[in-house]
Amino acid sequence: MDFTYTEEQKMIKEAARGFLEKACPNVEWYLDMDQDEKGFTPELWKGMAELGWMGIMIPEEYGGIGGSFLDLVVLLEEMGYAAVPGPFFSTVVLGGLTVLEAGSDAQKDDLLPKIAEGKCLLTLALTEPGTTCYNPFFIETTAKVDGDNYIINGVKLFVPDANVSDVIITAARTSGVAGDEDGITLFLVDSKTPGVKTTLLKTTAGDKLCEVVFDGVTVAKDEILGSLNGTGAVIARVLQYAAVGKCAEMLGGSQKVMEITVAYAKERVQFGKPIGVYQAVQHHCANQKIAIEGSIYITYKAAWLLSTGLPAIRIVASAKVWVGEAYKKVAAIGHQIFGGTGYIVEHPMPIYSRRAKAAEYAFGNANYHRQLIASELGL
Amino acid sequence: MAWDFGISKEAEAYRQKVGDFLDKELTEEIARENWEDLGLDVAGRAFAKKLFEAGLMGWSWPVEYGGKGLPPIYDFILIDELGKRWGAHVPNDVAYTMVGHTILRRGSAEMKNEYIPKIIRGEIEFGLGYTEPEAGSDLANMKMTAVEDGDYYVINGQKTFNTESHYAEYHWLAAKTDNSVVPYKGISLFIVDQRSSGITIRPMTTMSGERTNEVFYDEVKVPKNRLVGEKNKGFYYMMEALGSERNYVLVPSRYLPYLNMIVDYAKNTTFNGVPLSENPLVRDKIAQIAVEIDMSTLLADHARWMEWNHLPMTCEPEITKVFVSEMEQRMVDSAMQILDQFCQLKEGSKWAPLNGRIEWEFLHSFMTTIGAGTSEVGRTVIAQRGLGLPRG
Repeated sequence: MDFTYTEEQKMIKEAARGFLEKACPNVEWYLDMDQDEKGFTPELWKGMAELGWMGIMIPEEYGGIGGSFLDLVVLLEEMGYAAVPGPFFSTVVLGGLTVLEAGSDAQKDDLLPKIAEGKCLLTLALTEPGTTCYNPFFIETTAKVDGDNYIINGVKLFVPDANVSDVIITAARTSGVAGDEDGITLFLVDSKTPGVKTTLLKTTAGDKLCEVVFDGVTVAKDEILGSLNGTGAVIARVLQYAAVGKCAEMLGGSQKVMEITVAYAKERVQFGKPIGVYQAVQHHCANQKIAIEGSIYITYKAAWLLSTGLPAIRIVASAKVWVGEAYKKVAAIGHQIFGGTGYIVEHPMPIYSRRAKAAEYAFGNANYHRQLIASELGL
Repeated sequence: MAWDFGISKEAEAYRQKVGDFLDKELTEEIARENWEDLGLDVAGRAFAKKLFEAGLMGWSWPVEYGGKGLPPIYDFILIDELGKRWGAHVPNDVAYTMVGHTILRRGSAEMKNEYIPKIIRGEIEFGLGYTEPEAGSDLANMKMTAVEDGDYYVINGQKTFNTESHYAEYHWLAAKTDNSVVPYKGISLFIVDQRSSGITIRPMTTMSGERTNEVFYDEVKVPKNRLVGEKNKGFYYMMEALGSERNYVLVPSRYLPYLNMIVDYAKNTTFNGVPLSENPLVRDKIAQIAVEIDMSTLLADHARWMEWNHLPMTCEPEITKVFVSEMEQRMVDSAMQILDQFCQLKEGSKWAPLNGRIEWEFLHSFMTTIGAGTSEVGRTVIAQRGLGLPRG
């Protein structure tokens, strides 16, 4: 048993902390990114690519660094700490890992080097208007054979960064009915294909979640990612990575919130004393600490299980339940201690509390994951 | 150095060995003595002897006193395996997980030779003599006095909530030895023969039926060689032991039998022809119990890992304490909601589900956020030591 980062991971953390502090300079910049249609700057993306971040899990033969999922989680923790905007998560986790899991040699040869260089942006389109309760297999978008092609029709929602993606990995039903894990096929869809229409949704966090309409979109058979009708398992696996990756971001964000909250409690004077001497405030901060300690270990345990290939369903779901609720609580406490100051849009608190809400619902909220756990318990 | 949540092959082999032994030898009667704090009776003592003779005790204790000199993980495995089976803790819990460690750290060579081998063999138990009527959360405010008189200390005063005293051989006693300094600088620790003349033990019964005690000292003479370590250092010894004690006393595996019990109940109970296990609300509540057991386990594992790697613990065991004690209350509340009206039926009653275990646990759970330090004191410790917030 060991609860420590490797030396390499400590270096990744340190480098990421330094780079992101400069790259995301102040609250005004975040607010600009919220308003910006793309939600990130070319300099930010270029800088991250130069540090090799997009290739952190891509094998060396494809131009990546060949690191483990744990290494990626360390990086995502720092990204959450900095609340960095942009399509890193969608490109590297949702796109890159799906290609790694399911891609043919030709697809890997084509896409992985470009991803590693930051030259190709990807995302994954799962959720639909009919998914009023989260279920990644509730897919009604259809893909019908037409000679050597498939024709895709349907609407996808909450697709992160589809507006800037070059490739939208799209889950479509090729047999069965909505809710079946079987009968789902993944397609690599070029976002410029005629019939693909992307619209930005306006969200709490100002992140770039999109509606993507597929109106008679023609995709060649070669663009199937994985096996026909058989990608339910791939989706389930990628969503485990995504859930834990999101936990890492939430963990980093909650650590930042506690840091600024505790610092404020030490310096803010009311009734002649720093408010941090009052037990009501101390106990709020202690609750942040308790929530975050748990978040650290459950996130890394889940990441470790995924890295080692051990059964992970139960702990991954536990992680998403716990860390999602913990971040929400930590952010709410932060607001309470900052008082009116933290309610102002130029304060860092809203950046984090708005992201906490987005992350809570990404890849299934606590209720969804508790149902997975119940099934794992034999219920 | 790298994130790793597994245990070594050797530790896994020990876990297997302990598990096999307990599956055969741990009876309902012995388990109840432990989990309900009823005391260490004939069966419990015989069980302690068997545990030792099976070669399962003392792996984490020094070789010179009969141990194997291995890291604390072996003792943690022992109590975890007991916990999984309703066993709660080793029979001589206070001696084995609390007092023994302070004797090893601070006791004289003579004291170690006298007590440690017997502790490892499960032969002796101690009652914890800390709390007094005026010294609860403010422990240093104790009034019991120990005054030097020739070769003895003469002790007078009253202790309360001394759970093991009616069956333990010894009292692990904190008393004031200097009233002229700030309270925490004038406290010493003693080992007192519980049958010394002048000691009166009166039972106190808790709302869940556990036995605890008031202990009165009237001119009790204790030989000077029963002073632990240095005079007036007692409070420091108590505080330095606290983190480690929390690591042994908080055993998240104890909640697994409750989880399993509720899962079985939900699978085997129907309402209107539909198993409760198909009711989304029931599933949600049970899953949340499972999540919180996962969290308790990880918090405990982390604090224990710090201990056996000799890393300085500031607030980590306190975090485990606060979280686990509150989690236990949430767990029983969820379980009762699943049992609905039947949750109030006591063991032995007609129609009592799950043998009344949940009903008992409800009554017991009021203690968890109070005993061994309240959640309020715990959070203050976390805020001040863990986060550096200023003292008032």
